[in-house]
Amino acid sequence: MRAKVGDRIVIRGHRVGEPERDCEVLEVRGPDGAPPYVVRWGDDGHVALFFPGSDATVEPYEHHEART
Amino acid sequence: MRTSEAVSRSAVGIGPDRSILEAAEIMERAGVGALAVVDDDRLVGIVTDRDLVRRGIARRVPVEGRIDSIMTAPVVTIDADAELEDCFPLFRTHGIRRLPVVRGERFVGMISIDDLLLRLAGQLADLSRPVAAELLFAHRDSPVPMTT
Repeated sequence: MRAKVGDRIVIRGHRVGEPERDCEVLEVRGPDGAPPYVVRWGDDGHVALFFPGSDATVEPYEHHEART
Repeated sequence: MRTSEAVSRSAVGIGPDRSILEAAEIMERAGVGALAVVDDDRLVGIVTDRDLVRRGIARRVPVEGRIDSIMTAPVVTIDADAELEDCFPLFRTHGIRRLPVVRGERFVGMISIDDLLLRLAGQLADLSRPVAAELLFAHRDSPVPMTT
């Protein structure tokens, strides 16, 4: 997995009815975008050191040009 | 399959100087039963919800105490490039339920017995499906080849 600061990581639920969770990458600790990542969870805002498994996918953060 | 490819659940880490209370809060929020204790991404131990109870609460260790005072260390690990089957004897020999996957000293992820059992159950179901179909339904014999 490769990610950069600002990307969103989505973790699917493991049990029936368990919702997916998401977090924002605040810091990339590995080389060339590799894990681990310091992330902020979307549901409660707490910060954690995250090691993604195959249950996690990266949604790249897209920079949008500011309109002038 | 390599162990690094079999890590199906994301893992969460904590620094060795963090408190027992913080560890419990992280477990609750992240919905995990074990944390990797990492110092500059180097694995120094693991702590489970069971450790919190048996080594922490039951011994009246203050929740402000450092997590490395109740973690399991040294830890039995497996290399990220090892074959998945190499996990089996480690689980059996050491009587553990979770096995940290490492590359060098760096923590990569966690493999649990539960994950392996689910994976094996799925593979067994795939194998048994055609046999079960043969037992439950009539055979569909292929036609005898025409000969002249």
